[in-house]
Amino acid sequence: MAESYNRDSEPTTRTLLRRVLDTADTRTPRRRRSARVGAQKALLETPSSRRLSTPTKMNVRRGSHRARSIGRLAHVHTSGNLEEQTPRTLLKNIILTAPESSIMTPKSVVKPVPTPQVAQSSRQESSRGSLELQLPELEPPTTLALGLLAPGRRKQRLRLSVFQQEMDQGLPLSQAEPRGNASASSLTSSLSLNFATPLQPQSVQRPGLARRPPIRRAVDVGAFLQDLRDTSLALASPGDSLRTPVATLPTDTVLEDTQPFSQPLVGHSPNPGKPAQLLSGKAKKVDVLAVRFPNNSSAISGEDGVEPLQDGVGEEAEERMEESLSMSEVMGSTGTQGSVRTEKSKGHREMTEALEAKEPEGSSEDEDISGRTASPELASSTTESLQARRPQFLEPSPPPSTTVLSSEPLEPLSTRHPPRARTHGPRPRQDPHKTGLSHYVKLFSFYAKMPMEKKALEMVEKCLDKYFQHLCDDLEVFSAHAGRKTVRPEDLELLMRRQGLVNDQVSLHVLVERHLPLEYRNLLIPCAFSGNSVFPAQ
Amino acid sequence: MAFSTTVSQRKYIKRKAPRGFLKRVFKRQKPHLRLETSSDLLVHLNCLLFVHRLAEESRMNAFENKYGIIKKEHVQAAAKVILKKSRG
Repeated sequence: MAESYNRDSEPTTRTLLRRVLDTADTRTPRRRRSARVGAQKALLETPSSRRLSTPTKMNVRRGSHRARSIGRLAHVHTSGNLEEQTPRTLLKNIILTAPESSIMTPKSVVKPVPTPQVAQSSRQESSRGSLELQLPELEPPTTLALGLLAPGRRKQRLRLSVFQQEMDQGLPLSQAEPRGNASASSLTSSLSLNFATPLQPQSVQRPGLARRPPIRRAVDVGAFLQDLRDTSLALASPGDSLRTPVATLPTDTVLEDTQPFSQPLVGHSPNPGKPAQLLSGKAKKVDVLAVRFPNNSSAISGEDGVEPLQDGVGEEAEERMEESLSMSEVMGSTGTQGSVRTEKSKGHREMTEALEAKEPEGSSEDEDISGRTASPELASSTTESLQARRPQFLEPSPPPSTTVLSSEPLEPLSTRHPPRARTHGPRPRQDPHKTGLSHYVKLFSFYAKMPMEKKALEMVEKCLDKYFQHLCDDLEVFSAHAGRKTVRPEDLELLMRRQGLVNDQVSLHVLVERHLPLEYRNLLIPCAFSGNSVFPAQ
Repeated sequence: MAFSTTVSQRKYIKRKAPRGFLKRVFKRQKPHLRLETSSDLLVHLNCLLFVHRLAEESRMNAFENKYGIIKKEHVQAAAKVILKKSRG
């Protein structure tokens, strides 16, 4: 068996082990046991193995143990060393079952050979730990199986080696990789990214812009403008400011842009944190400026309605965006937030004031304010807003992208932004609550299917507050009645029954199915699964 | 801007439940109580149904007075009724 293998001239692990085993074999006294084991095997494999036919209990125990071990290990290994799982036997089995590879080239990037070696050695190590799993079958099938495993791993390693080749050849390419510098895994993952982004050469020329492929921006602007036009035709995002009769110009009031570092324009209050202050009396500017910047503003508030002025203003907006883009590109590499913001702020102060002034003061939904606080700049808002939607990825990227507006649709993100030192103290306390409520307010406007006033929405918020209070009180009473301190679904069911939502005709499950999405349904309604299990457990 | 007859839901409504928000609200109100995981979702269901009823009621109020928009007064009147109903 082992002797039949050729001894390789190079001292591979395999050869060393083989030598050890071969030499060691001759010395062990275990051969004597093998005969006994063979006899016992025949006895034990019969159904009457439990009988104490063997002379001693020890033998029986050992025999049963061996039977088990034999059952687990391959029967084919006739060496007889398998009775006990000694390291010797384990290693021997490894050698027998693991596929051979005689070639060993230390570091050849070109050949993928080292990778199978790596794969094999790693597999050997792992297999030592979990031998039993790998050797339950006959030898040929195991070798086949492991041989099949190897190519799969070889493929992975191959990709890595290919990438290594690329690395050696074209360093700038790999350097231009945004993230795939550190580890092999990231390299392999970024390898796929590499193929997807053909813009790498461009970014190499401007290393500071490595993470911001310029072409994408242009597309975004165009697509976004298209979007704006569509929304303008389509009309109403329910419940937003524009429907108010107060709104003289369709430009959005909601868009306030908070520019914490914005320079004071013409005696306006420079206070960055209180855009509400800027609301006061800029009506004149509004008319002038509003016309020009509806696009940018609407870029911020994606959901706000649409201005018909977009088409005329589109070009202007695009120009502004182009220049702001160029500005941002210039500034981006330096990575100075303040300077960039001031630059852009000068360009867009007017816009901000225009927008803020237009906001009807009465309404001033906190959501808008939070949106304002979260969105400092209008500059290159479209592109940046889209970039903002990948905030996590671009966190280290230049400031303009970080300062991007998370536009209105991304309102929940505004709760993330308050830590960016743009809001005052009391505001964050109210904001998360309002943003949470705003979810239900939006649902209200969705269900209503009719345009609504802003005041009506405020009213809805108040109602929701009251409703939550009532709800909590009721749940407390119900759970106390049941002698519990936790509110459980049964309490909720009782509440809905008392509200009249659940009755004999309509059960709770029906309501769940009607109104909740599938994922929640699975969590709430017990369903039978295979294997006689029910989830969630009752 | 102008009110169109069709209400396009370009902004897709999120169907997720703001579980964190609900838990926080409950904790603020009743710090000595605990809310279970599944009951969180049922609370969300309850809110949905409440909002649904409220919206329906406000719509009806607005229609009855022949308004094209839902005004604050409609909502107020509706709220009174619905809050009373969902008292439990």
